[in-house]
This record gives sequence, C-alpha cells and structure tokens, in this order.
Amino acid sequence: MDKYPAPSPMRTPIKVLVADENPGRAKALSDTLLADPSLDVQSVPIGMSLIEAVHQYYPDVVLVDMARADRDALDSVRALSVPALERPIALFVDEDDVDLMETAFDTGVCSYNVLDAPPDDVKPLLRAAIALYARFQRTRAELSAAQQEIEERRIIDQAKKLFMKNEKTNETQAYRWFRGRAMQTSQRIVTVATQYLAAQQKSDTP
Amino acid sequence: MTRPLRIGLLRLSDSAPVMLAHNAGLFAQYGLRTELVVSPSWANIADGMVWKTLDAAIMFAPLAMMTSLGRRGHMPALKPLATLSYGGNTVILRGTNPLMGQWPTGDKGREAFETWRTTIGRRPRLSVVHMYSTHFLILKRFLLSIGVNMEQDIEIQVMPPPDIISALMNGTIDGGCVGPPWGTEACLQNLAFLAGGSQTVMPRHIEKQFVVSQGASQNQDVCKAIINALNDAMIFLRNAENRQTVAHDLAAPLEEKGLNLPEAATLKTLSGEGFTEKTHYIHGHTEVGNVAWMLDDMQGLGWITEKEHGFLEEKWNAPLLF
Repeated sequence: MDKYPAPSPMRTPIKVLVADENPGRAKALSDTLLADPSLDVQSVPIGMSLIEAVHQYYPDVVLVDMARADRDALDSVRALSVPALERPIALFVDEDDVDLMETAFDTGVCSYNVLDAPPDDVKPLLRAAIALYARFQRTRAELSAAQQEIEERRIIDQAKKLFMKNEKTNETQAYRWFRGRAMQTSQRIVTVATQYLAAQQKSDTP
Repeated sequence: MTRPLRIGLLRLSDSAPVMLAHNAGLFAQYGLRTELVVSPSWANIADGMVWKTLDAAIMFAPLAMMTSLGRRGHMPALKPLATLSYGGNTVILRGTNPLMGQWPTGDKGREAFETWRTTIGRRPRLSVVHMYSTHFLILKRFLLSIGVNMEQDIEIQVMPPPDIISALMNGTIDGGCVGPPWGTEACLQNLAFLAGGSQTVMPRHIEKQFVVSQGASQNQDVCKAIINALNDAMIFLRNAENRQTVAHDLAAPLEEKGLNLPEAATLKTLSGEGFTEKTHYIHGHTEVGNVAWMLDDMQGLGWITEKEHGFLEEKWNAPLLF
C-alpha cells in the first residue's frame, strides 16, 4: 500500500472497518492494513449487518465489498441522521481522481467515511484495497480459466472414448479425427467434441 | 458498440421486461449485444451508472433522479429511456391484521395501527429498499394517511428487497414497503399482512424505469433497438396467457438465466389475484406517467431544491426523440 504519513504524537489512530464477506480477502486486507501502526483495523463479524457494525465500532473509514447486499443501509445514514451516529458517514468520492474511483468500482470495492475525513487519509487505504481486490479478481479469473480447461479436457476425453468404441480405433486415431474436423470447420476441438457427444446422445434417444 | 451493453437489475418481478428481452433474444434481434448484471443492492446500480461499470439499468425514478443530480459525488447524464412498470409496491406488517383487508385512511386506519403496535411491543421498525426509493415515498404517504408520523412514530431501516423475508422471520423488522414479489411472498408465508400499497396510496404511479448512461443515450440506434426490444417484451408480458411461463422463468436459478424468485408469489403479482398488488407492465411510448407527486414529496423532504424540482420535471417528462 502507499506509504501512509507517519502519525504525529498527538494524532489518534484512524479507525478502519473492513466489510468483506469473503473471509480470505477480508483477512488479507486487514493484515495489509495492520502493518501500518497508525491504523486501528476491525472487521465486520460474520452475521453482523454492516450498519450494526458501524454503530458498534464508530469507524472513520469503512472499506466495503460491493457484493454486500446491505451496503444500501450505509447510503441512508446521512439522510436519516441516525441518532446513534454522531459523525455520519457517506460514500467517499474524489471527483479530481476519476480514474481511482472508476478502478475502485470496477474492482468491486468502495469506501464510506465520516464526513470530515480528509481525502489524503482515505486514498491510500482505498488504493490498498483496490490492489488487493484486483489480485483476488485475477486469481479468481485464473482459477476459472483452469476449471474451464479441466472441463474441456473432460469433454474431449469423453468424446474420444465414445469415438474409439464406435469406430473401433485407438486414442491417437480418435484425437486425429477430432483435430481434423476442428480444422476443416474452423472450430475448436472441444466444440467438435461437444457436438459429437450431443449427436450421439440424440441418436441414442428412442 | 464493441462490447455488450451492460444492464444492471435486481431480483424483482418488475425486472421481467429486460430479462425477457435478453433471454428470448429480442435485444439480439435488433442488433444489440447485452449482458445482464444482477446486482445485490441499489447502491451498486447507482454507482455502476455513475462510475461506468453499467451502461443502463432498471431503476426507480427517485434514485435515478437523485443520482443524476450528483448525489453520489459525481454527476452522470442519465436519461430515462422508458417506463417499464407501474405500481406493485406493498406495505406489509408483521403479525396479524386487526382489520379485514387493507387499512382505511383516517381514524380507523390509525386505530388499526395502534392495535397492531401494541402487539409488536416496541416502536415499529419498518424497512424500505433504499432511502431514495418510491417505496420510501409510498410508505410515508401511507403512514400520513392514517395519521402516523414517520419521523416520530416509527424507525426506518434500509435493506435489499429479498432480505425482507428473513428479517421478518427473525424479527429484525416489523414490516415495510417492498417491491414485487417480496411483499406478496411474505404474506403467502404468513409472515406479514398487506396493509396498503401502491394501489391505495398512489394508483398507477411510475415504478421501474429503463435508464441509460450518457454514452448509450447519445447512440440513437442503440436507443431505438432497446425501445423496440422492450416493446416486443411488453406485448408478451401483457398477455395473461403467458403469466405462468413468465413466473416460471423468473423463478429459475440465476445460473439458468432466472432471478431465483418465489414462483407462486411472482405469479400472484403478475395477475393481481387475491387482493395482491399487481405489477403493471406498460411501456413509456403508450402512457405518460406522473412524476410530479414524487418531486413534490422529494422537495418536501428536503432532498431537492425548487430549482432541481423544475429541472427534473422537465427531464423526466421530456418526450422520447423517436
């Protein structure tokens, strides 16, 4: 994360509340922030609503996973002037840094802050969260790609086995057939394999 | 457009026109590539429109209006392209109805409220789906009609529509104003009763609108394609013979292109049977809706100024250009 300005002796720690229902990501973000001694970091306990946690911890900054359905409640804090909250919070927006804001929303994280929190205090925290969310997003995409590859391999193997049985060929010959069809029709091998399985299933249906 | 048009929506039965246009290939038929983004909260929809993660969305007018005024920190040029639905919001309360049916206005309604409040045993906690929602305005009017002061007599809580069922079950809330089919589902599960709603408070008020971002609104071909696809979807939705199919499709899991809605409650909101609040699917082309009452209420609540009232009224009543 960006180097956070060293706290002056008089400065009280900034209270940060991490609101993320993904336990792994929440821990990773908390650990990152805890490395900065000027921050007092809390996480929303499992089962507690976001608004309850805000009432309980009185944070200066709330880093919120946008997938949380209860984020709407935070929108209302300012408008409703909830009596328990002496320092109402609002969505943090830096109009001068549109790229930062678009990146934050694109990666699925946003920040709510007490209204008197200076943007210079908030932006490093938001940047740290963005970096972490982007990393998780990449990992998820890589995982998804790996799962897709495994699934495609399974389909091709299944189609090859069926082809070998139907045509009484070996595996190499079966693979060559699917590869040849794929080249002839400008399709991927997995597409040809899927079509082959579907056609066989159809012909097997009484 | 090189990438699909990203449309944000929530799990509600008045999202049906867009779901149908996407799933049945109506958008594609008019040359549009679309991607539906089923969002967890209204805040996500509004932020998506402000910070360009969405190109269009189904929104209720007050949120679209407040967002277009820059109330989320940045002023996007949003355009209401079409009205998708009228009415459908339910005012539901936990427990047993002290009266038969929906509550009358005036003293009798107030008496019913006091009787009901005694059974609750605390200052009632009523939910709305977002602060800047039609539901908030409807609930405020409903309470006012029975002499209940929203600021003093109740507590307001904000929660997404599907969460209202579990919140009623565990006693977190005592009722609220919620869109279809969630209020009807709460009644079917005997968690709550219908005390009022769109029909009794402001019949045929504009509910969901199809709102587009500046980029999409400047592309006339895209706008025409959207309107045409939605028109086709509306024809299908308004045919009573298709209700069962629509309810079934909306009840399908998200991964099967549905919205995971409760099927029986959805069907009831489509038909309006059994004194349920009905969702009316009507297109912006065929009927001009009334937003004046919303703007008056929003100004009365201090959300907007007189000048903003005028600006929004002009913008929301502007005729479509094609």
